[in-house]
Amino acid sequence: MSGELRVRLRVNGTTREALVEPRTTLADLLRNELGLTGTHVGCEHGVCGACTVVVDGRAARSCLMLAVQADGAEVTTIEGLAGADGSLHPIQEAFAQEHGLQCGFCTPGILMALHALLVENPEAGEDEIRDVLGGQLCRCTGYQSIMRSALRAAADVRAAALEVAG
Amino acid sequence: MTYGCLPVSATRWIGHDVARKEDRSLLSGRTRFIDDVVLPQMLHCAILRSPLPHAHISSIDTSEAETLPGVIAVVTGADALAWCKPAGSAPKRWGVHSIATDTVRFVGEPVAAVAAVSRAAAEDALERITVDYEPLEPVTDPFAAMEAGSPLVIEDKGTNVMLQCELTWGEVDAAFAGAAHVFTERFRWNRLGANPMETFGVISEWDPGTLELTVHGSIQSPSLSALGMASTLRIPSNKVNVKSMAHGGSFGGKGGGRGMDITAMLSRKAGGRPVKWIEDRMEYLVAGGGQAWDRHYEASIAVDAGGRVTALTVTLVDDIGATGEGFGAIGAAKPIAAFTGPYAIGAARYNLTLVATNKTPVSAYRGMGPPPHFLVLEQMMDVAARALEIDPAELRRINFIPSDQFPYTIPSGNEYDSGSYAEVLDAALDLAGYKEMRDTQADARAQGRLVGIGVASTIEPGVFDWNAYSIVGMSQTGVPEGATVSIDMLGAITVRVGFSLEGQGQYTLVSQLVADFFAVDLDDVRVVQLDTQSAPPSFGPGGSRLGVAITAAALGACRRLAAKMCSVVAGLFGVPVDDVVLWDGVFTVKEREGVEMSVAQVAGLMLARCDLLPDGIDPLPEATYVWTAPGRTKADDQGRAKSYLTAAQSVHVVMVEIDPETGVVEILEYCLADDCGTRLNPATVEGQTEGSLAQGVGAALYEEYVYDDEGQPLVGTLADYLIPTINEIPTTKKTAVVTPSPFTPLGAKGCGEGAIHITPAAVMCAVNDALAPEGVMLREVPASPRRVWNLIQERKA
Repeated sequence: MSGELRVRLRVNGTTREALVEPRTTLADLLRNELGLTGTHVGCEHGVCGACTVVVDGRAARSCLMLAVQADGAEVTTIEGLAGADGSLHPIQEAFAQEHGLQCGFCTPGILMALHALLVENPEAGEDEIRDVLGGQLCRCTGYQSIMRSALRAAADVRAAALEVAG
Repeated sequence: MTYGCLPVSATRWIGHDVARKEDRSLLSGRTRFIDDVVLPQMLHCAILRSPLPHAHISSIDTSEAETLPGVIAVVTGADALAWCKPAGSAPKRWGVHSIATDTVRFVGEPVAAVAAVSRAAAEDALERITVDYEPLEPVTDPFAAMEAGSPLVIEDKGTNVMLQCELTWGEVDAAFAGAAHVFTERFRWNRLGANPMETFGVISEWDPGTLELTVHGSIQSPSLSALGMASTLRIPSNKVNVKSMAHGGSFGGKGGGRGMDITAMLSRKAGGRPVKWIEDRMEYLVAGGGQAWDRHYEASIAVDAGGRVTALTVTLVDDIGATGEGFGAIGAAKPIAAFTGPYAIGAARYNLTLVATNKTPVSAYRGMGPPPHFLVLEQMMDVAARALEIDPAELRRINFIPSDQFPYTIPSGNEYDSGSYAEVLDAALDLAGYKEMRDTQADARAQGRLVGIGVASTIEPGVFDWNAYSIVGMSQTGVPEGATVSIDMLGAITVRVGFSLEGQGQYTLVSQLVADFFAVDLDDVRVVQLDTQSAPPSFGPGGSRLGVAITAAALGACRRLAAKMCSVVAGLFGVPVDDVVLWDGVFTVKEREGVEMSVAQVAGLMLARCDLLPDGIDPLPEATYVWTAPGRTKADDQGRAKSYLTAAQSVHVVMVEIDPETGVVEILEYCLADDCGTRLNPATVEGQTEGSLAQGVGAALYEEYVYDDEGQPLVGTLADYLIPTINEIPTTKKTAVVTPSPFTPLGAKGCGEGAIHITPAAVMCAVNDALAPEGVMLREVPASPRRVWNLIQERKA
């Protein structure tokens, strides 16, 4: 297929450019062109949520979005969640403490979906979290540890915000 | 905590909730999975698949595809015939080539494959391959497939019956003849399967100079896959090197043998360029290694006047699909390891028929066969309880194997190691508040609500052994697992194993054991994976074995290494070796106060001061140990053997409500008690239970691979195959009883397959308890709204 298009976007705070075929998905752009393989592809039809990234502040299925649709967008992936020094984000830390993952394949998508939620609504409680996680499949954990992790993450994110504010 | 086999006053890691070492990398998106691997000159594979369930291939034309830009190689069945043998299978000789050679036998069977510079280019090329099919009549029902004149799935077999046998253990006929009550029922377990969130993937690289094959993949058992590829590709086994990447779950359901062979052929045809194939989800759902247990059951129990079950017979017709390549037949054999569950049933008979149909070959799935068997057994227990008006919990109690009778040999030959079944039952009933739960149910029923309670108990056979599968052709006894422990000059410890990360936290577990043995920090121990050309014998995860097997192997290696280091210390101080002791990480000499050396000092001395090394001791602070389960026996002609080493037991208490208007089953409460012996890392054991329970809920209520009568799969996406979400899985209450295994070094039992053994049974017991006032019983899973609603409507009509 000919006719590659230039895409320019900000990913994890850095401006990136790539030439892509019109049919290239955002997931494939991130993984194959930009080398950000922490975003995983589980179904390529928008059900499993493993490929979830944050696009302009909202969780998005990167397998259902074309790369060209992300032209000019601000994208955050799992690689952008931890600090530059490798220190884990409170969401990541909570999942480590509460055993919120097993194989870890679906985990980046779950973390990014939660991240988008907690940025938008830092007061999110169990109902809101359940609503968001209802779009993320996990085959290993059975979700109970994910909910424990998410509740702890929400509390820790709020505490960290208070600390900054205080 | 203390363990006799560990030379420390108290463990810091084993037996404690330990955060997993694997997680930091996984949580940062840094762990490398197979699709993240890019090799120089790598090509991408796409596979053309049969749209028909049964057809002759009259011609294939790949010439146009071969001329497309970016296409480097194309393979068809002709290449497979030239280079390969048919796949290994169970039963034997029911395997076919990785690419159809003249006949397609199920929708999705590979017909041709392309290697190109990108996956997109390879997929584009598939559209330019022309295949002419002559459709043949398909057979999709195993009973029709057994009739004379049925279309034959593999024509030269002359039959679709892969295997038929009847195994009798004890005086079954006498027990039925003398029974006060006999109950007989039929059940249907529909096809479901693993569906890990990562599909299968592989990169094969053929070296045309050395004629060696290197394979990276999302592979559960690297050594088994290496042997399989060596066999089908006709390569000496020491010239196939497999390295598994961390993988995104497996649950037994990462078949992929065909993809491995196809990429190897493509690499060979492409002059040795590496070829990657990543199975997409639709390929997985239609033709991957993720379908299992397509079963039709008839069961009978003989019960005496006191409610004791005296005999059990089970007749199974198992629809294996088009070939035996997925080794799904093993799942029909495995129930022999725990045929009579937790009950002291003295006699049993198993009549099984494995049948080929024009559907995807069945593969392994977590639990490997007993979950459907226990669904049947537990429904039979409830049928008896209802008829005899005995509380289902009490019926189970009076049939349990008593605690003082372990080790206990069941009629089908396996020996259970230990158990406290009544204690586990009491723990579960207490946790659930069983009496109050029944009161709540009575109130609900008085209001006309369909509320039911299920109480079930099953066994999880742990630490699998091939001998359990002798009736389907497995000839080995024992499953060796090895580990190498080495200490470097500065005292840092490395453990080398033969399997990769899969999700159960096994690298953390190995670190716990070794860190406790040498009394160091968890982070002082590193666990690395060796590929199959370097690793000691290893199977890896599977059959609820690895936690027991790898800790036993690592312990053996630690002991061997400590003994060697004791010899070094003994030589250094001129004392008999028996006078040197390792305790709490320090080597001391009896009656020589103040003489002590740390583990790091001894290792450093061995590697850096050969002038001080005693004669006859080499300078390598390293030891390897290969463990295999003790006391295993070769199976007899009725399939009886000491097979699975451990028997974990659990009791689940579930309360459900059925909406009569929609047939939807809602889980109101879920309580469980389990006993898997010593819990080496209780937090990860809990994770295995919760994850396995969710798969069990899926099996009971949602998951099903549906085919139409012509063999066309109706499930192609995750919108059709209903993996439970967080909204379907109940929050459970859990408690544990610990009865250590006398047969394993730390007292642990296999627990990785876990709750899927019991959850479908427990949920269905609850569903049928809810339906009992309606006078109906559901004998089929999943208990989908359509099935439940139809049953209620039929009753009303």
